[in-house]
Amino acid sequence: MREIADLAIDVAVSSGATYADCRVVQRGIQAMTVKGGRFAEVSSFEDEGMGIRAIVDGAWGFASVDRLDSDSLRDAARLACRIARASARLRRQPVRLASAPVATGEYVTPMERDPFEVSLEEKMDLLIRTDEAMAAVAGVTTHEASLEFVREHRLFASSEGSLVDQVIVESGGGMDATATSDDDVQTRSFPNSFGRHQLCAGYEAIAAMDLAGNASRIATEAVALLSAPPCPTGRMTLILDGTQAALQVHESCGHPTELDRVRGDEAAYAGTSFLTPDLLGRFRYGSEQVTITADATTPRGLGTYGWDDEGVAAQRTVLVDRGVFRGYMSSRETAADYGWTSTGAMRAESWNRIPLIRMTNVNLEPGESSLEEMIAGTEHGVYLETNRSWSIDDRRLNFQFGTQNGWEIRDGKRLRLVKNALYAGRTPEFWRSCDAVAGPSEWRPWGVVNCGKGQPGQVIHVGHGAAPCRFRRVSVTAAS
Amino acid sequence: MISPASPDDLLALADSILERVGRDGAEVTVVHHDEALTRFARNQIHQNVAESSRRVRLRLMGDEQVGVAEIRGEVDDLQGRLIAAAEAARELAPGGDVTPLPRPDAGSDGPVAHSPATALCTPEWRAGQVGTVAAVSAVAGFEAFGALQTSMTQTAIANSQGVRRHATTTAASLICVARGENGWGYADRHHHDIRRLDAEQVAQEAVETCGRNQQATALDPGVFPVVLSPCAVADLVGHLADLGFSALAHQEHRSFMRPGERLMSELVSIADDASHPDAMPFPFDDEGVSTRGVSCIEEGVCRSFVHDSATALREDVPSTGHALPMPNTFGPWARHLVVASGESSLDDLIAACDHGLYVTRLWYVRDVHPLRTVITGMTRDGTFLIENGRLGRPVRDLRFTQSIVDALSDVRGAGRERSIELDESERALLVPALGLGSFAFTS
Repeated sequence: MREIADLAIDVAVSSGATYADCRVVQRGIQAMTVKGGRFAEVSSFEDEGMGIRAIVDGAWGFASVDRLDSDSLRDAARLACRIARASARLRRQPVRLASAPVATGEYVTPMERDPFEVSLEEKMDLLIRTDEAMAAVAGVTTHEASLEFVREHRLFASSEGSLVDQVIVESGGGMDATATSDDDVQTRSFPNSFGRHQLCAGYEAIAAMDLAGNASRIATEAVALLSAPPCPTGRMTLILDGTQAALQVHESCGHPTELDRVRGDEAAYAGTSFLTPDLLGRFRYGSEQVTITADATTPRGLGTYGWDDEGVAAQRTVLVDRGVFRGYMSSRETAADYGWTSTGAMRAESWNRIPLIRMTNVNLEPGESSLEEMIAGTEHGVYLETNRSWSIDDRRLNFQFGTQNGWEIRDGKRLRLVKNALYAGRTPEFWRSCDAVAGPSEWRPWGVVNCGKGQPGQVIHVGHGAAPCRFRRVSVTAAS
Repeated sequence: MISPASPDDLLALADSILERVGRDGAEVTVVHHDEALTRFARNQIHQNVAESSRRVRLRLMGDEQVGVAEIRGEVDDLQGRLIAAAEAARELAPGGDVTPLPRPDAGSDGPVAHSPATALCTPEWRAGQVGTVAAVSAVAGFEAFGALQTSMTQTAIANSQGVRRHATTTAASLICVARGENGWGYADRHHHDIRRLDAEQVAQEAVETCGRNQQATALDPGVFPVVLSPCAVADLVGHLADLGFSALAHQEHRSFMRPGERLMSELVSIADDASHPDAMPFPFDDEGVSTRGVSCIEEGVCRSFVHDSATALREDVPSTGHALPMPNTFGPWARHLVVASGESSLDDLIAACDHGLYVTRLWYVRDVHPLRTVITGMTRDGTFLIENGRLGRPVRDLRFTQSIVDALSDVRGAGRERSIELDESERALLVPALGLGSFAFTS
C-alpha cells in the first residue's frame, strides 16, 4: 500500500501539486439476514482502491481509481492535478491548510474476538434463533434479524511526510418485528432502528446485544402497539431513551457544529448551521445539564480511530460545555479560516470519496440521574423509545421526531403503552429544557450507520454516547 | 473519465465467470462507473472530484441456498476470490425460498438514457459552466452554491439461464442555490444529455427566486392551498411510491394501495415507465428482466404494483422488471416514475389560488405514519404567499405534516410542462407542478 501512495504523491508533486495526500483503502464487509424463517441472505463485499487529493495553483482536485497498477495510479494523480487547475479558474483565495504535526504510526481497533474469525455457522445460528423467537409470538407478520461486519484497512500518506496505517473493525446487528392489522402497521426494533446497532469492536459487541434473548419481548411489543392508545397530546415532560437521545444529539448538535456547514460548503445540499462563530463561548445552547463532546477516542465508539483522513490525530473536542456553545468539528482548511487547528474530523466513506468534516463520536456526557429517578419525578409525561422518524430543517433548528414506542407517565409511574408518538421543537429551547441526564451506568455508545452528507453522497458511520434524559414542557402529539 | 471499458469487455468478464462457475444457478453483474462532480460555494469551486470504479457481483444458487459476493476494484484473482466467497456464503446459508433465476425475455436493450457529450465532459468544461453560474449570481449581487455532476454507467448482466443484457447510461445534473443578504433561491436541471443543462438559465432562475425571497417573514402555521414546484412534487411522489407501489409492501400488508379504489383526484396518474424518453430510460432491472410499464395510479384509482421475480412468483404473475440486486428484503422498486401532466401553466396554477403558498423545494422529508402516507418535512429556498392569484411576500421556512394521499385527493390543477427531478434517493422522476387544495403546515 505504501508504494501505491508514494507513487501517486510523487506524480502529483511532479505535476505541480504544492500539497498532495493519498488514501489507499481495502475494505471487506460480511452481511447476513434471516427473514421470516424462509428467506436468508449471506453476502460478502470486497473493496479496494486509491484516492488522491492535490492542491495546484491554490485549488483542490481529487481523483480516485480502483485499478492499482502504476499506469492507472499515474493517470489518477495527473487527473487530480488537472482537475485542481480547472478549479483554480474559479478560486479567489488560495486554499490554506492549518498546520498539523507530521503523523506516523499504526492503529487497530481494540477487540476481544475478531468477527471475521467467528464461523458463519455461529452467526447464522444466532440469527435463526432470533428470528424463530420473534416468529413464536402470535400476531407478528414479518420479522427479520441481521448482522454486519466491516474490516477496513486504510493507509494515509501526504506530501508533508505523514504516513499512518489503520485497521478499523466494526460489528453490528439488529432485528425488526412488524405487526399489522387492517388499519395499522407497527414495528419494533432492537437494539436500534433502521437496520442495526454497530460499534467499533469485535464479536463481543454482538454477544452483548443478546439478540435472541430480546426477540420475544420486541415482537410482543410490536403486537401490543396495534391495540395501544395514541400518544397523549400537549406540552408535557418528555424522557428519551438512549437511542433516541443519540439521534437527537446527532441531528441538533452534531450537524450544526460541522464547520464546513458554517462556511457554506454544504449550503446547496445538506444545509448550513444556526451556530455561527460569533456565538462561540456566549450562546446558551442548552441547560447546565448539557455537555456535548466530539470524541474520536471513545472506547468502542463507531466514530473512533487513530487519525482522521487528513492525518490529524483523534481527539476530544468540547462542543457544548454545561449548556454553553464552545466549539466545532473542523478540518485543516476550515480551521485555517479562523486561525485554529483542526479537530481531526475529516472522514471519507471510502477511497473514492474526498474527506469531509463528519461526526466522530458526538457524545452527550453522562449526568447524575437515572431513568427510574426521572420517571419518578414526572407528574405527567411520556417516555419514548427507539426512533421511527426524524426531520430537521437545513439550519438545524426546527425538528420533529417520532418513536416506535411510548409509555405514558402519571404521578411518577409508567401508566400504559402508547403509540405513534411525535415530539417537536426548536433546538436551543429544547436543550435548555433538559433538566436531567442519566449517569454513567446507563450511558452507552450508540452507532448511527446511515449519516448522509456531501455531493457525491457519502454515507458514514458515526457514534453517539448517550443515556436517557429528560426535558420539560415539550410539544408532544400522536401521528394520525 | 479515465478509461471507459467496452460493453464487450464487461459481458466477456461476466461470461468468463459463468464459465468458471460451470453450473446452473449463477448470475453475474458487472458495473463500470465513471463520475465527476464540480462543487461550488460562494461563487468559487471548492470541491472537484472524479471517480472510476468497477463492481463485479456473483449470485450463486443451489440446494435451496443462495450466496452473494461482490468485489469493487481490480484485485488479484478476482474470479477465484469471487466464486470462493459466493460459494462459502451459499453453503452456509440455511435452506429456504430461493427464487429461480429469470430466463431471457424478448425485451430489447433500449431505449437507454445515453449521451456521448455527457460521457466526454471534461473538468475544464464543467469549470466553465460553473463560471457562468457564478457570473450570473455575482451580477445580481448574490453568491452561488451548488454542484455540476456528470456520470457514465455501464451495466452488464448475464446468468446461467441465458440472460445476457448490457446498457450504457449517462446522467448530468446542475443544482444551484443563490444566497442574498436575507434569503435564498433554488433551481436545478437534470438530464442524460449535458447539452440540455443551460447553466445560465438555471442561474437566472435561482437568482430570480433569491431576489424575490429576501426579508421573509414568519407565517402562522395552518392549512393552506399550495402550488408545489416540480422539484417539491418529486419528493412527494417518491415517498408515495416507496410507501405503496412495491408488490412486497402489498404482500406484507404495509401498502396504502387498495387496488380498484379511488383514493386520489382524477387528475392524478402515476406510472413507472422505464421506456419514457424523458425519464432517464433504462431497459432492464438488476436481474436482467425487461422493465415493463406499470400504471400504479390511474386517474386517482389504485391499479398495479411493481414486481421482482420473488414477489411475482408468490402471485404467479410475470415480473415487471423492477428488481434491485437479489436477493434482498427491500423488495421491488419503482425507479422511473412519471406523473401525468395537466393543462395549466405555472402562472395558471398560481392564478387559480386566492390565498395559499408556493413551495420551491422540500427538505428532509420523512415518513411519520406509513400506512396513512403521513410525512413531515420542511420547505426551503423560496416559500411565498400567494395572494389574489399572484406570488406575494416571502415567508420563512415552514414544517409540514401531511398525508400524501389526502393532499393528492384535492388537486386543483397540474402543470402542462414536466421536468426531470431527483428525489432524495437520487431517483429521477418526470413531474409537473401541482396545485393542491390543502396542505397542513404545523410549525
